[in-house]
Amino acid sequence: MMDRHYQIDRWIPDGSKILDLGCGDGSFLKDLSEKKEITGFGVENDFEKINLCIKNGVSVLHHDIDDGVKEFSGMDFDITIMASSIQCVRNPKRVLKDILKVSKRCIITIPNFGYWKIRFGLFNGRMPISKRLPNKWYETKNIHLCTIKDFEELCLNNELKIIEKHFLNEDGESIKNTFLANLFAAEGVYLVGSR
Amino acid sequence: MAVSLEIISTMEKTRKILRKSQEFHFQNGKSISQFELAYDTYGKLNKAMSNCILVCHAFSGSHHAAGKFDNDEKNGWWDEFIGDGKTIDTNKYFVVSVNNFGSCFGSSGPKSICPETKKPYGIDFPDVTVLDWVKSQKILMEELKIPHWEMVAGGSLGGMQALQWAISYPDIVKKACVIAATAQSSPQNIALNEVAREMIKKDENFHDGNYFEKNAIPKVGLMTARMLGHITYLSENNMQKRFGRKKQNPESKVETDVIYEIENYLRYKGDKFSEIFDANTYILMTKAMDEFNICGDNENDFQLILKKIKAKLLIISFESDWLFPSWHSKFIQKNAMKVGISSSYIELEGSYGHDSFLFASDEYCNIVENFLNFNDG
Repeated sequence: MMDRHYQIDRWIPDGSKILDLGCGDGSFLKDLSEKKEITGFGVENDFEKINLCIKNGVSVLHHDIDDGVKEFSGMDFDITIMASSIQCVRNPKRVLKDILKVSKRCIITIPNFGYWKIRFGLFNGRMPISKRLPNKWYETKNIHLCTIKDFEELCLNNELKIIEKHFLNEDGESIKNTFLANLFAAEGVYLVGSR
Repeated sequence: MAVSLEIISTMEKTRKILRKSQEFHFQNGKSISQFELAYDTYGKLNKAMSNCILVCHAFSGSHHAAGKFDNDEKNGWWDEFIGDGKTIDTNKYFVVSVNNFGSCFGSSGPKSICPETKKPYGIDFPDVTVLDWVKSQKILMEELKIPHWEMVAGGSLGGMQALQWAISYPDIVKKACVIAATAQSSPQNIALNEVAREMIKKDENFHDGNYFEKNAIPKVGLMTARMLGHITYLSENNMQKRFGRKKQNPESKVETDVIYEIENYLRYKGDKFSEIFDANTYILMTKAMDEFNICGDNENDFQLILKKIKAKLLIISFESDWLFPSWHSKFIQKNAMKVGISSSYIELEGSYGHDSFLFASDEYCNIVENFLNFNDG
């Protein structure tokens, strides 16, 4: 099992109520509900992905996160997940601010644009392509990419407390030495809460 | 020479009437001393009786949901979905479709003869509600010894029945597919229905609903009401594409004062409808729609009601539907979500306005098929 799932799983209590913003095909929620008997709901805006959620038996709501996430507040969610989706929204700052009105804790994963291979790609004068960022610049849904430093700064400025964090390599395995994470991590995995 | 081949469907189908000489008590307190329920079945019941699906018809529909029977001019209203190898595959599922009380297509309604007076009920037929229909369908279910529904599905007024089923009988509904419906008729719905009812009632042949006794039919009122209804079932875009501002060919004008194709179309549709539909039924059905309010008075009430549900819900709306706009559907799902009921919502494009629920598209069929065939194991 990839460490990404392992880390995220640890943060999710059995039987909790989960909202997965940008849930894709719903496989993560499906996994979680099999392992931890959670009550999960996905939010997705892409028809093909919604269809796959239904096929996977995952509850999904057709909704564009850019239209806001505040409407999910007061729904008793324990944890909100945004796995590699924060960089796809038009206003990440607003989403980050609103997300803690939805649940007290939130799990956010970001592809790190400071990763050395990406820097190398840019050094070559091209938009970088990697395992975590596989699409060409004109096809990607990622419109607000950031580095680990950038993300943590945004959290700090928005009164978001990073409770725990992990850095992963391209294969989703934990990086033991976090000293130069902004250079060597392909992905950051965060558990955040209110300050 | 062109040869036209008609593909003969091998789908098994039956058309029956359940006759019960027992009282049926309506939600409004009134009752009838005996009743009839007309219904169709499609496909074959398996030995375990675990493959049953109930489809519920909309306002002017009937139990004729699929295929063609001897006297049918057209295929059933959901023929694009129900049949061998279709979305609701009759090789696998046994589909039951019931004509609602108050209708004029075979089940007890204003046109039926009242056993006490030996005359048609007419205006005296009790007001019907969505809950009454669901209860009558439950009676048929027991009669057929069906233990549970794999899915209850319906569009528009049929979607309201699917939702009502999930709430009223949580233990025997596994999945409910609620399409182009609402949890509560809006003031706009009621307003449009009221105009339609007034058109019928103001027809000089209506005679306070006792037109049968006078050997009359309020045809003009019924026709005009349907014309209005028809506009609400389509979208502006759909009308634009289909008719534009095209003028009607003089040879096919239904009346000489018709100018545009859209006028001709509405009059033609209204006229045909007025020949098969009953005016009292129109009033009853629109009243049932107006009365539908499963929400109670506020969202808290609604959530308490939804909490009873054990079925998985799939709620579908259509972008072009302005009769029951998407937010009505999203509202149901979000309240179900709040109380942790397994539920999904999707808005499909649909190019026909409200009527989109009748027409198959790849996206629409895929979603319903995936929902139906998902198995918890």
